[in-house]
Amino acid sequence: MSALAAILQLLGVALAPLLPGSIQALKARLQGRRGPSPWQPYRMLRRLWGKSAVDPEGTGVVYRLAPPLVAACLLAALVIVPIAGHAGNFGLGHDALVLVGLLALARFALAAAAWDTGSGFALMGAARDLMIAVFGEALLVLALLVAALPAHSTDLRAMSAAASGGAIWSGPAHWCGAIAFALVILVETGRQPIDNPDTHLELTMIHEGPLLEYAGRDLAFIQWAAAARHWVLLLLGAELFLPHGSAFGAGIGLLVLGVVGLCAALAVIETAEAKMRILRVPALLGFGCVIALAGAGLWVGGVGA
Amino acid sequence: MTALHHVEPGEWRRSIERALGAGERFGGAWARAQDGGLSWCALIVSAHGVRVIWTEAPGGAVESIVELVEAAGWDEREAHDLYGLEFDGHEPIRALVTHPEDPAAWMTPVTGDGVHQIAVGPIHAGVIESGHFRFHVIGERIFAMDPRLFYKHRGLERAAEGQHRDAALPYVQRACAACAVANTLAYAHAVEDAAGLQPDRELRVARTVLLELERIYNHLHDIGAICAGVGFAPGTMAFAALKDRAQQINAQAFGHRFLFATIAVGRGTVELDVAAVDAMRAQLRELRTDSRAAWRELEFAGSLQARLGGVGVLGRDDALRLGAVGPAARAAGIREDVRTLAPRLAYDGFTPAAPHAPAGDVEARLGLRAVELEASFDLLAGLLVAPLARGFVGRAEPGASVGIGRVESARGATACAVELDGDTVTRVHLRTGSYANWPALAWATAGNLVPDFPLINKSFELCYACVDR
Repeated sequence: MSALAAILQLLGVALAPLLPGSIQALKARLQGRRGPSPWQPYRMLRRLWGKSAVDPEGTGVVYRLAPPLVAACLLAALVIVPIAGHAGNFGLGHDALVLVGLLALARFALAAAAWDTGSGFALMGAARDLMIAVFGEALLVLALLVAALPAHSTDLRAMSAAASGGAIWSGPAHWCGAIAFALVILVETGRQPIDNPDTHLELTMIHEGPLLEYAGRDLAFIQWAAAARHWVLLLLGAELFLPHGSAFGAGIGLLVLGVVGLCAALAVIETAEAKMRILRVPALLGFGCVIALAGAGLWVGGVGA
Repeated sequence: MTALHHVEPGEWRRSIERALGAGERFGGAWARAQDGGLSWCALIVSAHGVRVIWTEAPGGAVESIVELVEAAGWDEREAHDLYGLEFDGHEPIRALVTHPEDPAAWMTPVTGDGVHQIAVGPIHAGVIESGHFRFHVIGERIFAMDPRLFYKHRGLERAAEGQHRDAALPYVQRACAACAVANTLAYAHAVEDAAGLQPDRELRVARTVLLELERIYNHLHDIGAICAGVGFAPGTMAFAALKDRAQQINAQAFGHRFLFATIAVGRGTVELDVAAVDAMRAQLRELRTDSRAAWRELEFAGSLQARLGGVGVLGRDDALRLGAVGPAARAAGIREDVRTLAPRLAYDGFTPAAPHAPAGDVEARLGLRAVELEASFDLLAGLLVAPLARGFVGRAEPGASVGIGRVESARGATACAVELDGDTVTRVHLRTGSYANWPALAWATAGNLVPDFPLINKSFELCYACVDR
């Protein structure tokens, strides 16, 4: 089973771009546009991969190494996150806190690269990204904590197993975790109402800012990493905070349904909601942190079980 | 015929001061080169009409009036760049049309701890006109913003000089597509004013219909653009579709989506028979119903509404001081509209729209457009009751050398000044609503967050091309 899970995990490398692609395609339909096909990210990656990388004058090793480092972080994250509670052994373990660290490292690498270029827009985007990350990362840790408490472990496989079945939903704790994690997905994937992945309006960019100077193969790495972020987050969301069983076969079916459902939800939210004023984002994320803390508190207090 | 008052150069400042004291307002200024010397003219607007006062510039210098009228700042800077006119008391006179490399030559000097600059444009990451914005920011907050426009300066005014008055009209038209009717109508009015011609009822009706059709598609566009500024896709798409329907009505009736070549000097160019007028009235009625429904959707979209209030505030006093016009001024509580004083058009008994709460923010400007759309639909419903005929003009008074035309475009008062030598244009100057409003936009931007600028910008939705000319 773990061999099959390992194959599926690696398949994520190839399947990840399909997630943002499908969201974009569905979003276009919802907005009354024809839109690009779900395969568009693959075409983009092929095009970018075929181009050479360029360095802005005066940039150094930080700028050069950031894209492969970001991609490597996400690749590692990909093999840490189990599929339907099972995973192959890639020697990295399956600890939730390692995942948090990897996502943070990827963000830091890109912010450092923005600083290396000295470009105004890149720095502006990076500064906003880090400001939001202060709250977003706390929220991620707290949401994962709510899932880790019933499992008595931060091993993602154990957390997924502990969240399986219907009993977990009988108390309020897991519901709190689910709400908090929904906000995590919005933050980490950089979607509306927090960030607008479609915009290149220079002054409003968050995630698009730091990668402004990148082109060609570098940009391909970063674009793939953004898609992999979708994969990791949506998979985790479906495995930890959506109803599922403990059987592997049925689990995969439910997982696919869950991820598809989350993609659709993201497309609907992005269509229905305008982008929020940037200084309100910390308040929203702080609100999520309070909910997650409440969930953890309820569990520890014995109300969740 | 517009009254022309000559004052001695030493009296310039005082005469402007007197006019302002008498309740008149500054409406634009332009330089002219004649007989080797330069002269300087100002348009003075009152509740009864307009007049021009002018003076010579001995030695190429005149008294500056920026301390009396901040709204004259851009006019003086433009004349300084294009005609070499010097303004005593305008210190330092920063470049506007020309683009010097030295930042100090065109930017507001801002120094201090934690202040840094963000340079945006002239090439943008979208289909936007070319303009450069220099933000001085402290963190995410904008301290000051300097727009640098005139990337599309084509020298249209100079090119039109020496042309026959009919041949000069396309130059004015090409200043801008979205304001084609307003700009050419201001020009036609100016020429007819100079020549002492008055349009008949048919011509007035036809021109009013064209001007309101232009306003409708522009306002629909602007509402959609505000939605796009905050990434609210349903609003963006709905109003883009409505705008296109409005433009299809234009194309079907007059053969051009932007209503090009519908205005001519001294005569009508468009006519619609009974069937065409009925069809247009029916289409407009449908468009009105649908745009009302789309507007209601926006009013109930909480995430959109949460972005609008208190952002990009242009207060009433600042709007007056900076000479703001059009929806931007009315949203700030200034009930002024050229349509209330338009004897050359069919706006009998028109009252300007006023917002429920003239807060002068993005919300007020957005809401005002919805109110004005209703007014425009009402006007058109009242005018499209009989076939539109090609009207004519009749001689009403003796001709003069200078004429002024003033119309209300979708962005505010657009003024055109024309000087004629017989049928030849010797000087034409176009001051559009956008030109008047750019300093107000820059002012309204200060104190806001950087990511709110696209929203504020779109709530004014000023043209670049008809400023640049």
